[in-house]
Amino acid sequence: MTAKKNTALRRCESHVQAVRDTFPGSVLDAAWQAEDQVTITVPTDMLPDVVEFLYYGRGGWLPNMVANDERPLKGCYALYYLLSMEEDDPGFVTVRVEIDPHSMEYPSVTPRVPACVWSEREAFDMFGLRAVGLPDERRLVLPDDWPANLYPLRKDSMDYRKRPAPACDVENYSFLYEGNAEETTQVPMGPLHITSDEPGHFRLFVEGEEIIDADYRLFYVHRGMEKVAESRLDYDAVTFLADRICGICGNAHSVAYAEAVEHAQGIEVPVRAQYIRAILLEVERLHSHLLNLGLVCHYCGFDTGFQHFFRVREKTMDLAVLLTGARKTYGLNLIGGVRRDILDEQKMATVKYVRELRNEVEALVDMLVSTANFESRTAGVGRLDPSVARDYSPVGPCVRGSGIARDVRFDHPFDGYKYLTGLTARSHDGCDVQSRTLVRVEEFMDSLTMIEQMLDGAPGGPIRTEDWQYTPHKYALGYTEAPRGEDMHWAMVGDNQKCYRWRAKAATYSNWPILRYMFRGNTVADAAIIVGSMDPCYSCTDRVTVVDVKKKTETVLTKDQLEGYCRRRTHSPLSGKGW
Amino acid sequence: MLKLFREIGRAGDATIGYPFAPYEMPEGFRGKPEHNEKLCIACGACAIACPANAITMELDADQSHLTWDISYGRCIFCGRCQEVCPLFAIELTREFELAVKCKDDLRESCSYEVARCARCGKPYAVAKEVDYARRVLARVGGAAAADIEKVDLCLDCRRTDDARAFQKQPREGGCA
Repeated sequence: MTAKKNTALRRCESHVQAVRDTFPGSVLDAAWQAEDQVTITVPTDMLPDVVEFLYYGRGGWLPNMVANDERPLKGCYALYYLLSMEEDDPGFVTVRVEIDPHSMEYPSVTPRVPACVWSEREAFDMFGLRAVGLPDERRLVLPDDWPANLYPLRKDSMDYRKRPAPACDVENYSFLYEGNAEETTQVPMGPLHITSDEPGHFRLFVEGEEIIDADYRLFYVHRGMEKVAESRLDYDAVTFLADRICGICGNAHSVAYAEAVEHAQGIEVPVRAQYIRAILLEVERLHSHLLNLGLVCHYCGFDTGFQHFFRVREKTMDLAVLLTGARKTYGLNLIGGVRRDILDEQKMATVKYVRELRNEVEALVDMLVSTANFESRTAGVGRLDPSVARDYSPVGPCVRGSGIARDVRFDHPFDGYKYLTGLTARSHDGCDVQSRTLVRVEEFMDSLTMIEQMLDGAPGGPIRTEDWQYTPHKYALGYTEAPRGEDMHWAMVGDNQKCYRWRAKAATYSNWPILRYMFRGNTVADAAIIVGSMDPCYSCTDRVTVVDVKKKTETVLTKDQLEGYCRRRTHSPLSGKGW
Repeated sequence: MLKLFREIGRAGDATIGYPFAPYEMPEGFRGKPEHNEKLCIACGACAIACPANAITMELDADQSHLTWDISYGRCIFCGRCQEVCPLFAIELTREFELAVKCKDDLRESCSYEVARCARCGKPYAVAKEVDYARRVLARVGGAAAADIEKVDLCLDCRRTDDARAFQKQPREGGCA
């Protein structure tokens, strides 16, 4: 941090300077983990000011916050608020605070920057760190029957193989209602999700058929992967675990984890490996977007379209098998590069697949948008206001459908994306389900172009390096643009060849908090298509509870009832139940 | 609507014959790992590399045999075992139909005899691995093969030998 006056500013240094100038004495330390990543340590009481300043004042977005038990290293807990700077001087600024292990408290940032809400709730679940002033202090990740004083990610808390005895027998999660109407009906939806067969319990507060507000309980399938990675796996095997975070976009997680470690350790990944990683990320996007487009057809009651999108999607799965040897869980990333090269004959076959896919999907999309149902079921439905989006930092087609072109591939080009030409982030400003769907359609076509460009542009050479020195306790960020939005991984390796702390943020983690705003003002029949337009990625099934605010009644709808209603929009499953 | 019908007509029948007709996976597909117990020297590289701990190695109670074991229920088909095997004794095949009626059928194991130290009698390595080392050294020949009989000794005995040899060496300089 000396002799900076005469040299040009480093990446992100302008932000550090701005914080210094605005809040004198606030920057206790500033350290660069990678070229575009800086971590500043600030006093705990200045945390909300600094994060708010960087977020709203300097064009920052907040992927998430990472809590870490650093008592064995520094005698305190630490929080890392990760900020992605996307206006001037792009890069990542991490705001770090140290927390006294006796008080266990810090001032909540959520009242200033709502995007922190889930991370701060999770920090309490996992570490017992209390955000003073946090408006919503309910449990987020841990199940209802988890004992109150057991914080699993503390270094001295528990063996990952043991499970504590259930602390209570009943579900005790209280759903919050934020609307103004005094009497509403509650519609429980879940714990099995209607559209994607995944678990999450939604509570819709309705008046008649109109949704006034919604709340939800997720993490029914929380698998404690971060704990497993810290305890059982060596740091170099975690790429395979990261592959299994998601059944759809696992490769994006695997790459993000590998790059977090690579950035921290200063590993130069060979250029060819960078290209291959980006190509595989795009192959993954192809099948994921086709899956969502198929589901959109399904929700609109256009099941023929659904079948056809899935028929074509099979080609993208074949392409994945060709390039990686598996339909899903590609398993090709290692720290330092990739495991399998793309040979000439595979390149030729890929080009052929890409050409076929382009023609087939163009025809299908043409068919979809000319279907009367599509327009009427998606236009103006599930509105995400850009100002809500700005507050909560959603990602992927969700935010891009609201006119904000955030895309990690273009905001912070990494891997093969650095070498692309003539492409920019897509966005539509209808703010509705239709816009989000159209963004996916365009991105699908862009992905095909990217694959072609990168296959042509990839230079020869090695695909993996082993030339580096392992240094314990260094940390950094890894980021990718998964089909649903940015995946952000933060990893610190320990002195035992294991992860000291690994925080994997999936794209949908950033999108869930905005769902209640997207629900408001829509009808129950649209609930499924709205959740579907987010393309949510929880790990497996949901029930829906409908609560009538007026009559204080509750009915649980099954998946089939709601799904059928979403398609037909007649014969409401609520009729005949006193509504 | 017309577009839809045209597309349906063009696409034709997408259904394939599987499972009534075989389904071939392409070259390079990562399916069931096949272990060749003849080539294997039970060095343990695969067991160390396996991220899912599907491959394990366990010593018998009387330390006479080392058992190599794979559980296809745990296997994640990553192929790390194949990459690290020095003798190509494990390879991923294109087989993907692994369903069984009994969970135990997902396991395959193979026992290897453990060699005992020629001097102290302590079990120290798998006999096949010792034999492999001997053959490699004999083939390389020259200085590498000078101490070839020492492959029959356990690590402790070799250390003792080395220490004794070192003690006999004339010392240079005066070090207290």
